[in-house]
Amino acid sequence: MAASAQAIDRIAAAPAMALLDDAAELARFTRWLPARDGQRTGESSLRIGGMHCAACAGLIEAALRRVDGVVDARVSAAAQSATVQWDATRTRPSALVRAIEQAGYSALPDTAAGARALRLKESRAAVWRLFVAAFCAMQVMMLATPSYISGPGELAPDLKQLLDWGSWLLALPVLLFAAAPFFTGAWRSVRVGRIGMDVPVALGIGVAFLASSGAAFAPGGLFGTEVYFDSLTMFVSFLLGGRYLEMRARHRAAVALEDSVGRLPETAWRECADGSVEAVSVLRLQRGDTVRVAAGQAFAADGVLLRGATRVDESLLSGESVPVDKGVGAALAAGSMNLDAPVVMRVERAGADTRFEAIVALMREARTQRPAMLRSADRWAAPFLWSVLLLAAGAAAVWSVIDPSRAVWVAVSVLIVTCPCALSLAVPSAMLSAAAAMARRGVLLRRLEAIDGLARMDTLFIDKTGTLTQKESGGVQMIRVDDGAHWSEATLRGRAASLAAWSTHPVARALAADRAGDATAWRDVRELPGQGLEARDPDGTRWQLGRCAAATLDERGLSSIAVDAWLSRDGQPLAGFRFAESLRADAAAAVAALQRDGVRVALLSGDTPARVERIGRLLGLTDCRGGLAPDAKLAAVRAAQARGERVAMIGDGINDAPVLAQADTSLAMGEGAQIARAQADGVLVSNALHDVVRARALARRSLRVMRQNLVWAAAYNAACVPLALLGWLPPWAAGLGMATSSLVVVLNSLRLAR
Amino acid sequence: MDILYLLIPLSTVLVLGIIGVFGWALHGGQFDDLEQHGAQILQADAGSVDPCQGP
Repeated sequence: MAASAQAIDRIAAAPAMALLDDAAELARFTRWLPARDGQRTGESSLRIGGMHCAACAGLIEAALRRVDGVVDARVSAAAQSATVQWDATRTRPSALVRAIEQAGYSALPDTAAGARALRLKESRAAVWRLFVAAFCAMQVMMLATPSYISGPGELAPDLKQLLDWGSWLLALPVLLFAAAPFFTGAWRSVRVGRIGMDVPVALGIGVAFLASSGAAFAPGGLFGTEVYFDSLTMFVSFLLGGRYLEMRARHRAAVALEDSVGRLPETAWRECADGSVEAVSVLRLQRGDTVRVAAGQAFAADGVLLRGATRVDESLLSGESVPVDKGVGAALAAGSMNLDAPVVMRVERAGADTRFEAIVALMREARTQRPAMLRSADRWAAPFLWSVLLLAAGAAAVWSVIDPSRAVWVAVSVLIVTCPCALSLAVPSAMLSAAAAMARRGVLLRRLEAIDGLARMDTLFIDKTGTLTQKESGGVQMIRVDDGAHWSEATLRGRAASLAAWSTHPVARALAADRAGDATAWRDVRELPGQGLEARDPDGTRWQLGRCAAATLDERGLSSIAVDAWLSRDGQPLAGFRFAESLRADAAAAVAALQRDGVRVALLSGDTPARVERIGRLLGLTDCRGGLAPDAKLAAVRAAQARGERVAMIGDGINDAPVLAQADTSLAMGEGAQIARAQADGVLVSNALHDVVRARALARRSLRVMRQNLVWAAAYNAACVPLALLGWLPPWAAGLGMATSSLVVVLNSLRLAR
Repeated sequence: MDILYLLIPLSTVLVLGIIGVFGWALHGGQFDDLEQHGAQILQADAGSVDPCQGP
C-alpha cells in the first residue's frame, strides 16, 4: 500500500524533478558566478528537510562534495539550507537534490533566500539593540549600587555626582539607540491620530530620562537628587527582550510557511501543435502558448479562454467572492481559480512570477487577518491606554500637592507598570508558537482561528476517497458492459485515460496514471462536482466519465456492479473501472484516537453507500453516509451546525470545497485539489490523518496556555496599579514587574513550540 | 579613594569599547549559527579546524 503511494508520488514528481534543470526554473534559486577559465559555475540555494541536529550538516556537505562537478558545498544547520557551487558542464541541480535524498534528507529549491537574508538582518539588529540595552543596564546598576547601600552621609556628594554622570553617559546609548523603536512607534501612532502601546512606554522612558538628567546635573533643583537611570535602562532592556522573543516566534512561523510552499516547480500542461500535451514549468510559458487548466486548479498565467466555459473564483485577486462566468474569449487572470470545467487558454502575459504572488498573498492573508480574540482585544486597547495616561496625569497632580518631589516618579511608575505588554502578548504569542509547532508537525494553518476550532470541535466529518483512502495505482480493473463489437479494450482504456487527464480527482488521477491516453481532441469538457467529467469527441458525441444515471443502470440491470467510474457514450455505459482501494496507513488509529477524545466522527462520501459502509465498518464508525452530492454534504454539515455542534471537516476534492468553507474548522489534504486547499483553514501537508489528532491535542494545550496568560497579565496589572498610585512602587520595581510579567507570558507560550 | 575619580570614568569608557567589540563580532556574523561549529569536531573527514595548527 505504501509502495503504491510512493509510485503515485513518483509519477507526480518525475516531470517536476526534470523541470528543476530548466534554465528558467534554475534562475529562481541559482545565481551564476563570474566565469573563471571558461568554467560556468552556478551557486544554488537548497532548503534541506529532515535535519535533526547540527551534526547532520557535515553529513550532507560530505554527500554533496562526493557528487562529480560540485565545487563547494556549505550547509547551515540553523537555517536548514545548503549553498552549493557546481560546475555547469559536469552536473545538474537535480543530481545535487538526488545526492541529498540518497543521504537520507530531502531537498527543495530555496526560492525564499531573499526573505531569509531579511530575517537575518532583522534578527541581528534586534540582538544588537538588546545587547546595548542589557549591557548598559548592568553597568548602570553597578554605578547605582553605592547610592542604594550607603548610609546617610557616607557617600561624598562629589563622588555621587560622578557616579550619576557615569550612569547618564551609559544611559545615553540606551535612550538614543536601543529605545529608538519605541519612540518611532509612538511618533507614528501620534501622527496618524491613534494611541498605541508605544505612547505610554515612550512617555515613561522620556520623562524618566529628562527628570533623572535634571537631578544628575542640577542636584537639589526641580527634580530633586534621586536618579533612576538604572530603572530606565533595565525597563528598556526587558522590554526589548520580550520583543526579541516575539520576533523569534514570528520568524519561526515564517520559516514553517516557507518550508511548506517551497515545493517542486509548479507544472502547467501545454498543448503542442500535434495535439499532444506536455508538462512544462510555469516559468517556461510564453505568450501565445495554449495551456490546459483542469477544474480546481489555478490559472498559471494571464490569458484568454480559448475552448470551454467555466466559472472562475477571482477572490484572491479582486476580493470579489462571487464566482465569475467565463466564456470563450474572456480574460483570465493568473492566480484565480478554475471552478467548474477544464478549459484551454491562450497565454497573453506570463513571466511575472505568478506563483510567488500567490504565496505572498497567502502569507499576507495569514498575517493580516486577525483572530476574533485579538480583534476584541484591539477594541479595548485605546480606552485602556487613554485611562493609563489619565491615571498617570491624575496621580502626578495629586502627588504634586502631597509631596511635589515624588510627583514625577509616581507618574513614571504608573506609566511603566500599566504598560499592557503582557496583556497584548498573551494571545498572539500563544497562537503563533502553536501555529509554528503545528507547521513543524505537518499541519499548516492558514487561519489562526483554526486553533480555537480544532480544540473545541465536537463533530468531525471526513470525506472518504482521497482522504481516508487512497487508490492503488496499479491494476485498474475494467468491466465491459457494451456489446463488445464496436470497441477494442485498448481503445476504451485509452479513451477513458485521455478524458481522465482533464481532472484532478483521485479516481481520474489513478486512471490517467495507469496508461497513456489516446489523442482524442475533446471539446466542451465540463467537470460536474460529484458527477464526473463530460465532454464531446470531434464527431460531437457526448462522453461521460464518472457517475451514471441510476435509471439507466437499473434498466440495463447493472446497478449491482460496484465500480468507481463509468465510461458512458450518449448516456449508455460502455465500461466500468474499479480500483483497489485501501485505507491510509494511519486512518484507523487516528479515527479511534479522535473518538476516544470525545469527537463524533462521521463519513460523508459521494461514493456508493455499500463501499462507504464497508470502510465505515473497518474504522468502527456508525455514521456513514454514502451517495451524497456536494449539496447533500453541505446540508449535512448545516444540519449539524443547526443542532449547535461545532463542526470540523477534512476533505480533498473539488466537491468538498463548499463544505470546507461551510464547516467551522476545515482541513484539506496536501495532495488534494488546489481549490480545496484554498478553502480550508489548514492543510495536512504530509497527508497523514494522525496529524489531526496531534494538532487537536496541541490546540487544546494552547487554549489552556492562552487562558493562563490572560489571567496572569490581568491579575498583575490589577494588583500593581493601586500600588503605583499610592507611591509604594518605585520606578525600578515597576519596570522589573512589567518586564517579568511579559517574559512569563512569552515563555509560557513558547512551551507550546517545543 | 581618590583613584575612584579616575577609575569610574575609565570603566565607563571601557564599557562603551566592549559594546563596540561585540557589535563588530555580531555584524561579522559570528552569532548567526551557534551550534554547527561545535558539532564539526565530530565529523571524521572534516579535517583540521584551524589550518594554522598543523596536521
